[in-house]
Amino acid sequence: MIEDIKKEALELIRSAKDSAAVERLRIRFLGRKGEISKILRSLKDLSVKERQTVGPVAQQLKKDIERLIQEKTAVFSKSIQQGLPGIDITMPGKKIKIGYLHPLTLIEKEIRGIFKAMNFSVVEGPEVETEYYNFDALNIPKNHPARDMWDTFWLQNSQQLTSDKEQLTKGQESKVKGQMLLRTHTSPVQIRYMETHKPPFQIIVPGRVFRYEATDASHEINFYQIEGLMVGKTVTLANFKFVIQEFFKRLFRSDIEIRFRPSYFPFVEPGLEVDIRCIKCGGRGCGICKDSGWLEVMGAGMVHPRVFEAAHYNPRDFQGFAFGLGLERMAMIKYNIPDIRLFYSGDLRFIQQF
Amino acid sequence: MKFSFALIKKMAPGKYDKNALIETLNEHAFEAVDVGGDVIEISVPPNRFSDAASHRGIALEAAALLQVPFRDPLKSKMSYGAKGQGIFRVNIKEKKLCNRYLAAYVTNVKVGASPEWIKEIIESAGIRSINAVVDIMNYVMLEIGQPLHAFDAEKVSGGIVVRRAMARESIETLDNQKISLDTSMLVISDAKRALAIAGVKGGKFSEVTPATKSLLIEAANFDGAAIYAAARALNLHTDASARFSHQLSPELAWQGMQRALDLLREVLGAKIYQPIDLYGKKQPRKIIPLRLEKLNAIIGVPIKEPEVIKLLAPLGFSKRGKFLEVPALRLDVADIEDIAEEVIRLRGYGALPAQAPAVALNPAFEAETVLLKDRVRNYLAGIGCTEVYNYSLVSRDAVGLAPPVMFGGNGGAPAELANPMSKQYAALRDSLASGLVANLKSNSRFFDEVRIFEIGSVFRNGKNTVDEQIALGIAVAAKNAVLELKGVAEVLFEKLGVTDYFFPDLNYPNSLLKSQEALRIETSDHQVVGYLGSVSGVKGAVLELNLGKLLTIVDEEREFEPLSKFPAIVRDLSILVSDSVRVGEILSLIQRVSSKLVEDVDLLDWYQDEKLGDNKKSLTFRVVFRAADRTLTDADADKEMAIINQILIDKFDVELR
Repeated sequence: MIEDIKKEALELIRSAKDSAAVERLRIRFLGRKGEISKILRSLKDLSVKERQTVGPVAQQLKKDIERLIQEKTAVFSKSIQQGLPGIDITMPGKKIKIGYLHPLTLIEKEIRGIFKAMNFSVVEGPEVETEYYNFDALNIPKNHPARDMWDTFWLQNSQQLTSDKEQLTKGQESKVKGQMLLRTHTSPVQIRYMETHKPPFQIIVPGRVFRYEATDASHEINFYQIEGLMVGKTVTLANFKFVIQEFFKRLFRSDIEIRFRPSYFPFVEPGLEVDIRCIKCGGRGCGICKDSGWLEVMGAGMVHPRVFEAAHYNPRDFQGFAFGLGLERMAMIKYNIPDIRLFYSGDLRFIQQF
Repeated sequence: MKFSFALIKKMAPGKYDKNALIETLNEHAFEAVDVGGDVIEISVPPNRFSDAASHRGIALEAAALLQVPFRDPLKSKMSYGAKGQGIFRVNIKEKKLCNRYLAAYVTNVKVGASPEWIKEIIESAGIRSINAVVDIMNYVMLEIGQPLHAFDAEKVSGGIVVRRAMARESIETLDNQKISLDTSMLVISDAKRALAIAGVKGGKFSEVTPATKSLLIEAANFDGAAIYAAARALNLHTDASARFSHQLSPELAWQGMQRALDLLREVLGAKIYQPIDLYGKKQPRKIIPLRLEKLNAIIGVPIKEPEVIKLLAPLGFSKRGKFLEVPALRLDVADIEDIAEEVIRLRGYGALPAQAPAVALNPAFEAETVLLKDRVRNYLAGIGCTEVYNYSLVSRDAVGLAPPVMFGGNGGAPAELANPMSKQYAALRDSLASGLVANLKSNSRFFDEVRIFEIGSVFRNGKNTVDEQIALGIAVAAKNAVLELKGVAEVLFEKLGVTDYFFPDLNYPNSLLKSQEALRIETSDHQVVGYLGSVSGVKGAVLELNLGKLLTIVDEEREFEPLSKFPAIVRDLSILVSDSVRVGEILSLIQRVSSKLVEDVDLLDWYQDEKLGDNKKSLTFRVVFRAADRTLTDADADKEMAIINQILIDKFDVELR
C-alpha cells in the first residue's frame, strides 16, 4: 500500500503544472488529514514488529515527498522570478487608453506656471465686452483711426443699458452704455481688475479674443492671448525687461536673446514690441523668421496714465507695465506647428501628438 | 506709408545707406521695411501722423538718430510776388470742425506736365501724375504732411464757405463719381455749390485742367473725428482723409501752404498773393515740466538732464528753465510719460538693464474658475477623453438646438453678430454640443471610438446684456455611449466632491437629443447644472455641464470614514422583466425597501434577446450587505433577498431566474 502511495505521489508531484497544484498535493499527502499522516497515525494500532518494518518506510516516504515538493516549489518560484512560463515579455505592452490635453491648454499651463513662480496671480474676464472696457477705457477713443488696429465683431441689438438706470452715477453709466462686442484683446481685464483691486499686484489674464479678419495660416477669427499687468509705486520698464527675460528663458529653456522695439498701443506709454531670437535658426535667418533672425512675440509698455484714470487710480501714485502675447503663436514656435487653423480643427490626429 | 529714400536723404544728408536707415528706424522709431527700388515702407503709428507722416518728419527723425544735419525745405520767411490777398473771401460756418483755413489766390498759371523730380517722388508713393499743379499739391503732402487742394479760381463764384452739407446735397468727385452727402459731413463750397468734400476729395466742377489760368489753393485744418466719420460713412478713403482723420496740427497747414506757394512760383513761375488765414483757436505753445525723477522712475535707470536735452534737441524740443517746450507738430507729446518714451527710444532699448522688481510679497492665487477648469481637464484626460477647441462663432442653424439648461432653463434668444463675416460664423454658440458632435463625425473616419471634451464660453441674449456661461461639453462615440457618459459624469462628480445629484428625465424640448435617452443633471436643491443624452441621428452621446454653477456646489472637504471591521455578503439577483420597466425604477425600489443592511446595489449585466420572449429583458443586480456591528450570516442575507424578490414580483411582475 505504501508503495502504491509512493508511486502515485511521486508521479503527481513530478507532473504538477504550477505551484498551486503542488500545494494541493502537499495538503493531500502531508496535510493534517493527508494520506501519509494517516499512515503514521495508524502505526500506533500495529504490533511492535509491524511498526518496526512499516514505520521507517513511511518516515522515509514522508521525507521523500517533502523533498520533492520543496524542489518543485523552488522550480516554480524560480520560474516566476524569470517570468516564465506563460508570458513572452517581449510582446508589446497593453495599450492603455488615455486622453490628451489640447496643445493650447498645455502651453497656457506652462506659461501660467512660469508667471505663478514669479508671484503673478491668474484671473479671467468675459469674452463679450462693452465698447467702454474694450476701447474707451483703454484710451482708444471713438472716431479715431487707432481703433482700426482692432477689427471688431459687434453684437446685434445690444445697446447695453441696465434696468436700474436711476441708481447709476454718471461715470458708471458710461461703462454699461455702448454697443456690445466680442473682445478684441484681453486688455479690458486690466480695467476690470483695477476697478476692484489696489496695487501693488501682478496678474496675468489668459483668454479667448476675436478679430474680424480673413483666416489664413497665421490668422484666426478667434485666438488666445495672455495679458500681463504689474502695478505698484516703483514698477519700471527695467523691471519689465527682467520679468520678460526670465519668462522666455524658462519657456524655451535656454538663454534666449530678446530685444525691444518702439511701437504704439494707445493704452501704454512708452509702448514697445518684444522680439525673441529665432528659435529655429538662432538668428541666421530662415523661413520662420522671414530671414530677419527675430520673432515678434509680444506688445508691451508702461500703463498709460489715462488708463489709470479710467480705473480711478491717480497716475501720480502708481505706475506699472502691461503686456500681451498670443498663445497660438507661442505654441506654433515651441511645437513647430505650421498652421494656426489646426488648433481649431478638432482633429484628434493633431491633438494627440501633444 | 511709402517713402522715397532719396528725398529723406536730401533733407538729412550723410554717409549712410538705405539699409542703415531702415535698421535705425526699426530700432529707435518706426517699423520700416525695404520694398525695393528707392522705396521704404514705414508704419507711421496713429499718434504720429501730425509730425511724421511726411518725408520731412522722417528726415528729422533720421537726422536725430544718425546724427547728421537736417536741411529744412521750408524757408524761414515767405515772399509774395503780388500785393494783397486777391479776390476771395472765406467764411467758416463750422468753426469746431474747421479750426484753420488758408486760401491763397495764384495767377499767371500755365498748367503743363510736372518736372521729373516731382513725378518720381509722387509715383514712388503710388500716386499718379496728373499735371504740374495737382502734382505739386501731392508732392507737398508727401514732403510736408499737409494735404492741400487746388481749385480752378475761375470756377469759384463769390468766395469759399466751409459748411455742413445740406440734406440731399450731392457732389461729383474728381473721379466722376456722384456722391450723396448728409448733414453730418463738411463741405467746401462757393456761393452756388459744394466744390469739395472737406478733407476727403475734391469735386469735378472746380477741377484744375490744362485750361486753368488761376488757382485757389487750400490748406486747412479739420477735426479728425469728423473727417474719419465722413470717410467711413462714404467708404471713401483717400491719402488726405487718412491724414486728417488722425488729427493734424493747425500749424502744419501754414507750413504746407508756404511750401506749395514756393513750388508754384519756382516751378510754374506763378504769381502769388498773400494767403487769407482764418485761424480759430490758436494752438498754444506746449510747455511741460521736466519731472526728471518721474522720467527715471518710469524707465528704471537714472538719466541726467543734460543727456535728456541732448537726445531731444535734434527733434526740436527745447529747454525752458525747468520745463520743456514741445515742437508744435508733436501732438502726441502731452506729459512726462511721452517724454520718457522719446528718451528711452532715442537712447535705445538695448541699453536698458534688466532689474528684478522689489515688491511686497503677496501670495499669488489663481481664480476659482481657472482652478476648476484645470481639475476637470486633468480628470477627463485621465479617463481617456481628449480635449478639443472649437470656434465660438457658428452658423445660425447651429444655435437653439441644445436644451437651454445653461441659461437657467429658458434663456433668451441666441446672440447674433451685427457684422458677421460669413454665414458660417454669424452667431455666438449657445452650446458646445454642435461643435463636439461635428468632431465625433470627422474623427470617426480615423478612430473606432472617440471620446472628446471642450471647455468654453456659451452665450444667449440676456435681459439687457449677453448671458455668458462657462460650459463643459463631453461627447462619446462608442458602444453604449450614453451610459458611458453617465459614468463619466459620476466619476467627475466624485472627484470634484459633488455628492448629491440626480439624473431625472430631461423634459426640455430640444432637437439635439433622442427624447427617450436624455437626462438632466440636477442637484439635491433642484438646480439644473447640465444634461446628457444620445444624439439624434448620430451614433454617439453628449453631455454638457455649467461649470460656473458647478463651482458653487463643489465641496472639497473630505472626511475619513472608519473602514468596516466586518465582512460583506454579496448576492447576485437575476430577473426577467418587461422592457417597459426602467432599471432606474428597480434600483430605487430596492434601495427604498431594503433595510440598513444593504450597502450597495448595482446593475451587473443586462441584455435583450428574442429567446427571452417578447418585450422582455434580463437584468442582473448585485446587492452588497454589510452590518456595522457584526458579521452577517447567510441567513441574514437570505432573509433580505427574500424581501427584495417579493417586492419586485409584486411591483414589476418580474420572473426570478
